[in-house]
Amino acid sequence: MRSLTQYRRIVQVAAVAVLLLLNACAPGGNSDAGPAPSKPVSTGVGSEPVTLKLLVNSGVDVPFYTALGELFHAKYDNVTVKVENQDYATLTTTIARILAGSNVPDLVRVSQLGNLIEDRLLTSLDPYAKTYGWDQWPQSQFASTRVGPDGKQRGTGALYAAGAGFGLTGVYYNKALAQRIGMTRPPATVAEFGQLLAKAKDAGLQPIMINGKDGGSVYPLQNLVMSSAGDAQAVQDWNYAKPGASIDNPATVKAATTLQRWGQDGYLPADVNDIDQTRAPAEFVKGNGVFFPSGNWQAPGLDKAGAGEFGFFLFPPGEAGGPSYAMTAAANLGIPAKSPNADVAAAFLDFVQTNQQARQATVTLGGLVPAGPSNASAPTAPQGSAVAATVSAFQELLTSNGLVGFMADATASIHVNSLIPQTQLLLAGKTTPEAYAAKVQSDYERDLGQ
Amino acid sequence: MRSISSPPVMRQASSMTGPSGAPAATQPAVPRPIPPRTRHWSALLWIAPAFGMYAVFVLYPMLQSVQYSFYDWDGIGPATPAGLDNWKAIFTQPELLHSVEHAFILIIFYTILPVGLGLIAASFIRELRPGAFSTTARVVLFVPQVLPLVAAGIAWTWMYSSDGLVNQVLRAVGLDRHARAWLGDFTFALPAVGVIGVWVMLGFCTVLLLAGIGKIDPALYEAARLDGAGRISEFFAVTLPGLRRELVVCTTFTMIAALASFDVVQIATQGGPGYQTMVPGVEIYRLTFLQQHVGQASALAVFLAALVLLIIWPIQRLGREK
Repeated sequence: MRSLTQYRRIVQVAAVAVLLLLNACAPGGNSDAGPAPSKPVSTGVGSEPVTLKLLVNSGVDVPFYTALGELFHAKYDNVTVKVENQDYATLTTTIARILAGSNVPDLVRVSQLGNLIEDRLLTSLDPYAKTYGWDQWPQSQFASTRVGPDGKQRGTGALYAAGAGFGLTGVYYNKALAQRIGMTRPPATVAEFGQLLAKAKDAGLQPIMINGKDGGSVYPLQNLVMSSAGDAQAVQDWNYAKPGASIDNPATVKAATTLQRWGQDGYLPADVNDIDQTRAPAEFVKGNGVFFPSGNWQAPGLDKAGAGEFGFFLFPPGEAGGPSYAMTAAANLGIPAKSPNADVAAAFLDFVQTNQQARQATVTLGGLVPAGPSNASAPTAPQGSAVAATVSAFQELLTSNGLVGFMADATASIHVNSLIPQTQLLLAGKTTPEAYAAKVQSDYERDLGQ
Repeated sequence: MRSISSPPVMRQASSMTGPSGAPAATQPAVPRPIPPRTRHWSALLWIAPAFGMYAVFVLYPMLQSVQYSFYDWDGIGPATPAGLDNWKAIFTQPELLHSVEHAFILIIFYTILPVGLGLIAASFIRELRPGAFSTTARVVLFVPQVLPLVAAGIAWTWMYSSDGLVNQVLRAVGLDRHARAWLGDFTFALPAVGVIGVWVMLGFCTVLLLAGIGKIDPALYEAARLDGAGRISEFFAVTLPGLRRELVVCTTFTMIAALASFDVVQIATQGGPGYQTMVPGVEIYRLTFLQQHVGQASALAVFLAALVLLIIWPIQRLGREK
């Protein structure tokens, strides 16, 4: 049996230990490390044997970047591209640790910039953009990976990532079912789209197939916000964390009202909140759904399921002839600050954006649309295929500046913690459009304030 | 999550066999006297390797979490002292507090139902003659324990979907009215997740309780029968008191699993629909890895750990011999 004094002593020792620990230096790195001195950059890849290490997501990324690496090796035979991969969730959560570690890749797939810039883990690509002439290309393709000096505001400042291709959202339609409800051309306005949905409902068809479980329903919502506002500036500012940006406005309320009404009118599946991104395309392919709002990453799969059976149009504007918008995100690659082969990595980035064969691989293997210079050759895709439709829509938006980032990417957690649950509540009638707009905005401010 | 919650079981299991397996009478009547001082130091030597590992891999990280909870830190860059802000947020942000509430609701499904049903199942299996049927019954009940929870989560997600097995069965028996997308339903999502917990935990509880019943002296059952006890009173007079330690182990283990649940929710619902199934485990994961708010995540984790200890402690006391 221990005596009371012994217990007291143990408690004292433990208390002292805790205090010592708490008084020890704060966790984390040093804040005084200034920006890395800019080194002179070179466009050459030299003649020494170099192994360029790429770290990408598991899945389709692997054959895609392996193919790009082989094309690059064919052009510069001293460079061997080695592709390593980690699954998306793992890489997203460990990327900062990897880049801060001692064994860094030369290029890394960056899904979200997060704190990587603030913690100085990526190299600024500005010197390369200048040397390679990327600054002469349409600049909207680089906006989302520019980060301001505070490390938070995007769309302005230095460039930190660039990619081979882009994702793009719009609305797929089942050509046979669309014909049955008398759709001869894509709807010119949101109101016209609504009429088509009503016709589909009357014809006993499921008007829209969509995945509300993991955020597919946020796409039409954002499109409705931009359509009812008539322009995308407010959303873009919001995405880029521009000081004072807000979406707690009439456009968002109107958009949320429309989406909620679509749900109440039975235009969305009854179990919308239970459908995930695997099930939605499978149901759509089966004919359960005339329309399927989603992104170009679905196009190769839809073409495979039924070549020529599925079409694609951009979400209609609020008023006829108004601007069309689509959400886009690049498959971005960044050069880690610690990479010893930054020049070669930059040469690879330039290659994948400009080389004809690489651009074709981006479409056929990556399921993405390449951007690059405005006069670059557009990759080919079979006539009438869903892929071809997404490629031409992207080219159209690239010149009309209709490419907007995803609201889901505005902060690291706005998607899972606010947009998805709030849209589910909205569709279930458990929140009002006004409360929806206010809550998403207040969560956003809390995220940025911390 | 499971790896975290397994140590208490092992600890309990070993202490369980201790007293009954080695009664005091077998010890030497007169122990050789050892000078107290030597014994003290040699004891330290013996526990040093285990304690070293425990200190480095458990105690130190735990203290670190406590320290982080007072900082605003992204895990890489400089940390700034945050005072009690992270702690205040737990009680002021409704989403964080609701997630703790849901964890308590899960106790019904992870603890109360499996332990109750496990007792019934174990009593029935005890009466079965050893043979193919009783072995099959044990295996069937225990199989969920062998499957990774992630696989279980995916399988259940399919069964719960609008065209899944659960709804097919409902429609087959004419209950079409009650068919629904269970995990997408605001009322039924949390109970549906809970049922997965019942399925996983029931086998563990049954097998452990069955082992406990096997240890009860058959003479007691015989005596009870001779005294004219029926099945019910036999259960309350012999089985239940004899299972005291096993019940404590079951309750402790399953309660920790309920309060620290993560995998099933992350796979099946991701906290949705709305915030209906959000639990602290998922919240901590998101705060750490998605939002990189290591400080806030640590505060919630320390709070959760304290909560678990607070709830487990009285149960452990109940389990001690009078």
